[in-house]
Amino acid sequence: MCSRKARQVTALAEMPADVEHIPPAEESTPSHRVLDFFFTPRDAPAPGGDNPLIQSTTQAPQIIRALCDRFGKAILGVEEYAGEQTVLVETQRIADVCRFLRDEQRFQYLADVGGSDRFVEEDRFEVFYNLVSFEKGKRIRLKVRVDEAALTVPTVTGVYRASNWNEREVYDMLGIRFQGHPDMRRMFMPEDFEYYPQRKEFPQMGIPGSLPLPPRTPEGPLQYDPYPAAHDGPTPKSYQEPPSEIAEEE
Amino acid sequence: MSDESGFRTSGTESVFRFWPRHNEAIYERLESKHVWLEQALRNKAKEGDPLEHEMILNIGPQHPATHGVLRCVVKMDGETIEKSVLDIGYLHRGVEKLAEHKTYQEFMPYTDRMDYIAPYSNNVAWCLAVEKLVGIDVPERAQWLRMIMCELARISSHLLWLGVGLMDAGAVSVFLWTFKGREDLYRIFDEVAGARFTVSHSRIGGLVADLTPEAFRLIHRFVDDFGQEIAGWEALLNRNRIWIDRNRDVGTLTRQEAVEIGLTGANLRASGEPYDIRRFEPYLFYGEVDFDVPTREEGDSLARYFVRLEEMKQSLRIIRQCLDRLPDGPIRADDAKRAYPSKDEVYYSMEGMIHDFLYTDVGVAPPKGAACYQAIESPKGELGWYLQSDGTGNPWRAKFKSPSFTNLQGLEHMMEGSLVADAVILIGSIDPVMGEADK
Repeated sequence: MCSRKARQVTALAEMPADVEHIPPAEESTPSHRVLDFFFTPRDAPAPGGDNPLIQSTTQAPQIIRALCDRFGKAILGVEEYAGEQTVLVETQRIADVCRFLRDEQRFQYLADVGGSDRFVEEDRFEVFYNLVSFEKGKRIRLKVRVDEAALTVPTVTGVYRASNWNEREVYDMLGIRFQGHPDMRRMFMPEDFEYYPQRKEFPQMGIPGSLPLPPRTPEGPLQYDPYPAAHDGPTPKSYQEPPSEIAEEE
Repeated sequence: MSDESGFRTSGTESVFRFWPRHNEAIYERLESKHVWLEQALRNKAKEGDPLEHEMILNIGPQHPATHGVLRCVVKMDGETIEKSVLDIGYLHRGVEKLAEHKTYQEFMPYTDRMDYIAPYSNNVAWCLAVEKLVGIDVPERAQWLRMIMCELARISSHLLWLGVGLMDAGAVSVFLWTFKGREDLYRIFDEVAGARFTVSHSRIGGLVADLTPEAFRLIHRFVDDFGQEIAGWEALLNRNRIWIDRNRDVGTLTRQEAVEIGLTGANLRASGEPYDIRRFEPYLFYGEVDFDVPTREEGDSLARYFVRLEEMKQSLRIIRQCLDRLPDGPIRADDAKRAYPSKDEVYYSMEGMIHDFLYTDVGVAPPKGAACYQAIESPKGELGWYLQSDGTGNPWRAKFKSPSFTNLQGLEHMMEGSLVADAVILIGSIDPVMGEADK
């Protein structure tokens, strides 16, 4: 662009003096719409600021300061992304932190508990707690990390009754046991299932034969693989099924 | 007895042929559970039980009144439910696991199948969560249109709750009446999205297409006529002795109990806690429209009925304001790396086609380590997505905060101490959707 301009200037200088200078025609707008390009993805997560969906409820610096004053070293750090602050708490102190938040900071409502598998990281699993304070109009997220070898987290059912099913769900999906939970059963999968499906090593298509399913005929055997053709097995033919007594009576 | 694969199946030691360990665990839980009314009943039991009232009943999973595949195992003393254990997961499809193997846009049709009574709300919840994670600015017109459709979805969901709830109470004719209203809504959704049920109309960064003039005409007609319909139901039900007697003082929860158990949505507001995400964290333009958050103090099934009926009226109010204030403009973000390019660009420019291809193949890629939670007020309550990104086009973890799931946990508590005949009313008044609760 610059070089072209420079060339234009030299061309004008060489022209005879009596020729009037005609300004170059302005660049016409292209007929197609210009597309924006963002070639380089941002590597580090930006702490927010320009995020259009930022909420004032998720920023609670005073509460986090109160937490740090009260618990000191048990607060391992604070992360921020998209205007949301996540407080990383020492695993064994999570119930104390929750009790403090409920009784002294008025976070009476537990919205959600969930777990996540960080796979190759050091402390493999993490459990996050989503707490809401109606009076203060604030939402805060606590997070604990747990190693694959330990795999136990103290329960917060003593503080928030609502966490009962959510903790069962985390146990069901990731296999993290909650110490002191009154009812540590699986939430969605039956007890006969022996895997934890939300872990990263669990295959997306499931494990054939891991769960018995109802028989195809009233007296038939339980099925272990309802779709054998999908796993290179033989497709069962209807004439191979055992004859049904009920059907014969009819 | 165990067969060659190592599973315990039918045998002498277990009465359960199918999933014996699962069923045994449920019954053990039922025996060992401590409930608040246990002490009172034990005192009564000292007087003797000559007629042997005690019995354990399995309600569901296949039962019309369970609104899906909900299994309630209840221990009854006569007609009173002494303890209850809910068993869910019969519709578990592992959508959170599936989400980890899809791009953000690819996962959208799965959200339709979660709360299948109000699919548009789920679409919007997913889109907003991804938009927050990536930081996409959505054009204003798209946001207003999303609001209109979300409120229509709320009315659609509440219509199903009303019709089915009344059918549970014995009034089959109202079911047909409310489904006439749903049919009008389906016609709107069909006109807007091309599908009556699983709409998938919202896109990350906007909408797939603008609404047609015919769609606006249908919405206007619906908004004009629907107030009359609500008035008809109010005239039928608000002073209806059977309906009120079946609902009043059934499943009463105080404000403190409801907050402790973690109920959401209309169930929480019926107990007096005015927690509504549209007010608490206004998303879209809910901060700019004028509406009330109806609450009641009683906390029983009748209060939940009044709250939901009032919510439908408020939805109409919101839709009217949205239609008045709807600006002109684009309906999708003009940023080909973060939202689908328009079909004009795709068909007539090379860059557009490349972008379309890349967006389908990879989609948006939020920065590594990004995590955020975005909730909306769905018809059932607080519906949120917690997303974690690893820098690729697939979410590393997508956690679904399901309102029906938390409400069902409250149902377990509410059923204890109520009559077994009221259990059906309670399930209806809590308004669970199993597709959402079971994930």
